[in-house]
Amino acid sequence: LIGKLRRSLDRLRRNDEQLVLVLSLVIGALVGLVVVAFILLTGRLAARIYPAGGSGWRRLLAPVLGSLSTGYLLWRYFPFARGSGIPQTKAAIFINNGRISFRTVLGKFFCCSASLASGIALGREGPSVHVGAGLASVVARNLGLNPKRVKALVPAGCAAALAAAFNTPIAAVLFSLEEILGDLHATVLGSVVLSAATSWIVLHLVLGDDPLFHVSGYRLVNPAEFGVYAVLGVVGGLGSVLFVKLLLGLRAWFMRLPQWTVWFQPVAGGLTVGLLGYFVPEVLGVGYNNVEKVLNGDIVLKLVVLFAVLKIVATAVCYASGNAGGIFGPSLFIGAMMGAAVGGVAHALFPDSTAGPGAYALVGMGTAFAGIVRTPLTSVMMIFEITRDYTIIVPLMISNLIAFFISQKLQKEPIYEALARQEGIHLPTAQSRAQGDQVQVHQAMRPASSVLSPDVQIGGILAQVKESAFNAWPVVGNDGLRGMVRSREIEEAAANNGSERQVSEILRGSPYSTVEGLPHVHPDHSLSLALARMGSSGMNVLPVVSRANLRQLLGVVGLDDILKTYGLADGSEL
Amino acid sequence: VRQALAARPFLGTLGLTFLAIAALFLADTFLAKMDRNESRVEASRLFEQGRVLMGWGENGEAIKRVKDALSIDRGNRDYLRTLAEAQLAAGDTRGAEATLGDLLESEPTDGLASLLMGRVLAKEGRFAEAISYFHRAIYGRWSKDAEQNRRRSRFELIDLLAKQNFKEELLAELLPVQEGAPQDIKTRTHIGELFLMAGSPTRAAEVFRGILRDAPENADGYKGMGEAEFTRGNYRASQRDFQTSLRLAPDDPGVRRQLDRCNEVLQLDPTLRGLGSEERFRRSLGLVELTLNEVSQCTQPNPAPEIRELLAKATRALKTQGRAGRQIELSEANLDLAEQLWQLRKRECNSSVTDTPLALVMARLAQ
Repeated sequence: LIGKLRRSLDRLRRNDEQLVLVLSLVIGALVGLVVVAFILLTGRLAARIYPAGGSGWRRLLAPVLGSLSTGYLLWRYFPFARGSGIPQTKAAIFINNGRISFRTVLGKFFCCSASLASGIALGREGPSVHVGAGLASVVARNLGLNPKRVKALVPAGCAAALAAAFNTPIAAVLFSLEEILGDLHATVLGSVVLSAATSWIVLHLVLGDDPLFHVSGYRLVNPAEFGVYAVLGVVGGLGSVLFVKLLLGLRAWFMRLPQWTVWFQPVAGGLTVGLLGYFVPEVLGVGYNNVEKVLNGDIVLKLVVLFAVLKIVATAVCYASGNAGGIFGPSLFIGAMMGAAVGGVAHALFPDSTAGPGAYALVGMGTAFAGIVRTPLTSVMMIFEITRDYTIIVPLMISNLIAFFISQKLQKEPIYEALARQEGIHLPTAQSRAQGDQVQVHQAMRPASSVLSPDVQIGGILAQVKESAFNAWPVVGNDGLRGMVRSREIEEAAANNGSERQVSEILRGSPYSTVEGLPHVHPDHSLSLALARMGSSGMNVLPVVSRANLRQLLGVVGLDDILKTYGLADGSEL
Repeated sequence: VRQALAARPFLGTLGLTFLAIAALFLADTFLAKMDRNESRVEASRLFEQGRVLMGWGENGEAIKRVKDALSIDRGNRDYLRTLAEAQLAAGDTRGAEATLGDLLESEPTDGLASLLMGRVLAKEGRFAEAISYFHRAIYGRWSKDAEQNRRRSRFELIDLLAKQNFKEELLAELLPVQEGAPQDIKTRTHIGELFLMAGSPTRAAEVFRGILRDAPENADGYKGMGEAEFTRGNYRASQRDFQTSLRLAPDDPGVRRQLDRCNEVLQLDPTLRGLGSEERFRRSLGLVELTLNEVSQCTQPNPAPEIRELLAKATRALKTQGRAGRQIELSEANLDLAEQLWQLRKRECNSSVTDTPLALVMARLAQ
């Protein structure tokens, strides 16, 4: 049995695709369990730091001590475990071949747990993503996988972590693609989905089926409400920009302070939260219980405005000063409060034609998330999954998009990229990735004027072949494209007294004698893909064929065409 | 050899990973259990605080505590029911309705939730829906004391129907109650009173008769009996019962009022047996005078000729001397005239008063 198992594992080890899928399941389970442990540990620790009926001084002292102790640990032992973990994860994928150390994972887990339990106003989701990505990286590297495979498994770890932290498997998949990879069509989709689903199952096995927030069923009371939701989008967008700018400004300020102050800088965050929390306990921690209250319309207008303002300040200072924790949770808190404020005013003015503040708080969560994190699709799906309430989805989409556009307009650089830049890391932006992909074959291709007929004799075309810079030729018959013959094959045939042989005879002996096996591109393919296929086939020209019919030759794209498109050659020699 | 060496870290890492998964699963299960237990204790503490506050009438604070408890122990049906009760007590019927709606959505046969929903809807004035929920409570599922709770629900429904004067529905609910209700005097008296409200004095009289059989000195039984007889038009019997009740409980102002009313009717009623012709004539004249007064209060200054003629006829009748030989004949004419005037009053004055002594006597005459 052991022998059989060993042989199966050996086979698995040699089959990369199967191995990645199996590892996605393993990583999903592992990360799910670690994140559940993280949530439970933080919760129990917080319950002991803040027992029921505990006195007010705890609210002042605990965050200060928490930030001091974790600040020292982060400085001394876990320097890469600061902050949210999302920029670090992206840097690991795009710059460090998916490498995140086990020490960072440990540091993130324990420092974040202690920090969040002490009342620091940051979230657990970003760190969970970092821990998940780190575990995926550690497992993959120790299994001896190549960097490409390691990089492919890191997003799976991210998705698994977010699926367990938020109980939102679909949003977790979207987030991994939309934010971490910046590509919704990423090839790792399969492993990301598998991993998120496994993690979610683990979460349900251990903690049961319970959404993050329980919300009354909300609906659109009157079509005119769309106007109010649009206003919420504007408020959410502006609030998001304010938060991001404040956080980035403060972070830049803290980074200008002398290096020796780094280890106790987090105390600034702890002290701020402690002072605010002494008078307003709702500022402490991530505050999901208050989010649930406001979602159910249980907090009055004046308080929600106060909570939103204080949370923006507390989170910005906590994060900027170098505490360990994320901004997902605080984004939801701030958004819920902003939404409730807008909804409260609207409901007071038009009680018969607007829903209660709770509905706006719900939409506000997504709005702030879209504005701050800049992942509109993820935010819509996340709110839907968190609340399991579909009825409010259209207003949510409208508000989210407005907030997203305002945020994009007023704060050019997304928060995670800006934070990474402040650390000296230049992550590829989603925009740059998109622009790269936007240069497509149809922008470089030329008409297929130089093609060979299958029944033409080699002797008749030899001169043309020798003069041309192309090293391969499309063979087109009555039924369309039949294949490609290389110039070398034609010249060799001619040298062997085969001038009277037809092109079709050469084609039969060519490796690209069928359209199915023929290297080709479609007009909407990227030029980078065309280059890759030229490299692998050894041809400096590729046929551009229709997606609907591979035999339909739309044109050709040559190496010089691509260079010309990038401004590196004029193509005149072709 | 190289392959074997390469495979070693692979297998080792994989083994370690599975070991970690198993260990983490155990640790998570332990932590989750601890979390659940501690959270439940905390939720229970908050819930008890809420109940105490509810007892003190501080419903707003009670709602907060129970909601806090619910945010920890989500979906706890006891907490949800108590929350709905507190919301109802605080006047937040909309909140209570939403809370109960959630409860009933997950368990439509929940008896207590249905009963609370009935109360909420009754408070909102949505009586048809409230009645439906009371019925659900009566036939719903109760975790304990099912029979007692069902009966309580039915009595609440009966009280609601009585308050809203839904006589037919009230009678329909009372009939099954009569059989299974507790046989204590208080409950039977209440049932008798409800039969009276439902417009069934005969059944009420039966109930009170039964009470008086078991407790001959029960003042409430006589009072109820008096009311039942009064409603049935047996004013003499009613007078007797009220007098007995007053003798047994002299301080009951309600019975005294009823007795006074009964006496007024008896003094006006010309159809009572045993009246002499003179007395009967006197009473008939009294009725003409009273009905004429009633009509005069609302007729136009220039009434129609037939009304004018009727009023003149009544005025003439009042002046007529009742000689001994014609008293019976004149009494009949007077009563006829009084009836015509009463009908005219109904038309002209648009009055629907039916429970004054005069109205009761005129109703009896019309029979």
